[in-house]
Amino acid sequence: MSAPPLRVEGLVKRYYASRWGRGAPSFELAADFTVEKPETIGVLGPNGSGKTTLFELVTGSNAPTSGRVLVEGRDIHAVRYRERDRLAIHYHQSYQVRSFHKRKPAFLMERAGRARPLVHLFDEPQFSVQDGYIGFMLEFFGALRREGNVVFLCMHPNEPFHLEILREACERFIFVRQGRITQFPSFDRLVADPDVRTYLGALAPAG
Amino acid sequence: MTALFEARGLHKRFGDRVVLESIDLAFEAGTLTGIMGPNGAGKTTCFNCLTGTYVPDGGTIRFDGHDIAGLPPHAVTRLGIARSFQTISLFDQDSVLDNLVVALPRMRRRSFDGWRDRARDREARDEAMEILDAIGLRARAHVRTKDLAYGERRALEIGLALATRPRILFLDEPTSGLGADGTARLTDLVARLKGRVTLVIIEHDMRFLFGLADVINVVHWGQVIARGTPRDLRDNEWVRRSALGGVAC
Repeated sequence: MSAPPLRVEGLVKRYYASRWGRGAPSFELAADFTVEKPETIGVLGPNGSGKTTLFELVTGSNAPTSGRVLVEGRDIHAVRYRERDRLAIHYHQSYQVRSFHKRKPAFLMERAGRARPLVHLFDEPQFSVQDGYIGFMLEFFGALRREGNVVFLCMHPNEPFHLEILREACERFIFVRQGRITQFPSFDRLVADPDVRTYLGALAPAG
Repeated sequence: MTALFEARGLHKRFGDRVVLESIDLAFEAGTLTGIMGPNGAGKTTCFNCLTGTYVPDGGTIRFDGHDIAGLPPHAVTRLGIARSFQTISLFDQDSVLDNLVVALPRMRRRSFDGWRDRARDREARDEAMEILDAIGLRARAHVRTKDLAYGERRALEIGLALATRPRILFLDEPTSGLGADGTARLTDLVARLKGRVTLVIIEHDMRFLFGLADVINVVHWGQVIARGTPRDLRDNEWVRRSALGGVAC
């Protein structure tokens, strides 16, 4: 059996208030999940819950404290910096991010082994109902997904149509809260969860 | 059929930000192509690479058989490529006619022969008047440029770009700052130019392009995320649901 498109394995990132990493971590993100097939996954959670950190860890721009991120079985943190965008891409609002902290020379690292990225992470795209660009964005996500890619769509819903977009575009969901992730197999299960409902507040659909 | 202007695999980054990633664009002679996208999506960067203002970090740009990627702007202009800018720059103290005359390439070939220069000045003036006709400003030829209305300034700026007799004209957000009235007049102007010169227009306002363009490219996240005729693009459900839905084609 071939490796799954994405495996996030015992991933932990700790931030410390003190520079030397002493004392208790001020923030800790922990994630462990597998994406078995091409899928569109909605990611939501409050500001500062760790959504962007998760995306940075998956694209290899932020080094984990422990754990691994395997894109088609290849550990992205062991791949040459310039080739990591052939595995996963972080789209921040309207541009693409390539930010890597170089820790060792590239020639000691592995090659990406593919030409085009498999995992596409969209970090809070700006949606506005007035200008009609939403449709083109959703079609773009759909095309990536049909071509066999994994698409993550991270949103912080504050309008009813944001939820509509998530329901329409995503097959399953990840809720991030205080550095912990919870997975939901469907939109209905997502919005039925008490924590998610508290987070959504007035936007939570009646149920 | 090969296009008059073709960009392949265009790549541009600023530090950690990749603003253009593998963009392919082609403009056929005599057509009007729209490039649209939300704010900050890389439209102007794309434009600056196409018109020689920026040197792309990768990719090829071909115009009528010439490889123009990395050529300086004046060399690009000489090949027959002209552009307008989002912010207008004109000689405010001079007349509308003088602004145009100065922009004519023939004015750069002056000699020290006074008689010949006079004949040239007359020809230049005739040529400038022709362009003023095309942009609908003939009646305003002797007005001081600073007394023009904003929409007229936009038209004059397009006139300056036309003065170089371009084969392809790039307009960067021509409707920016214009009200409904000004936009309507600009639409007429662009419709008149269509077919006479190959046009490429960057616009945030979809409505303007939907009525004029033959093909539209939607640029976002440094990529072309959608491409098609206005009719194709309008078919999208969210476009119909948005405020654009009611716009006639």
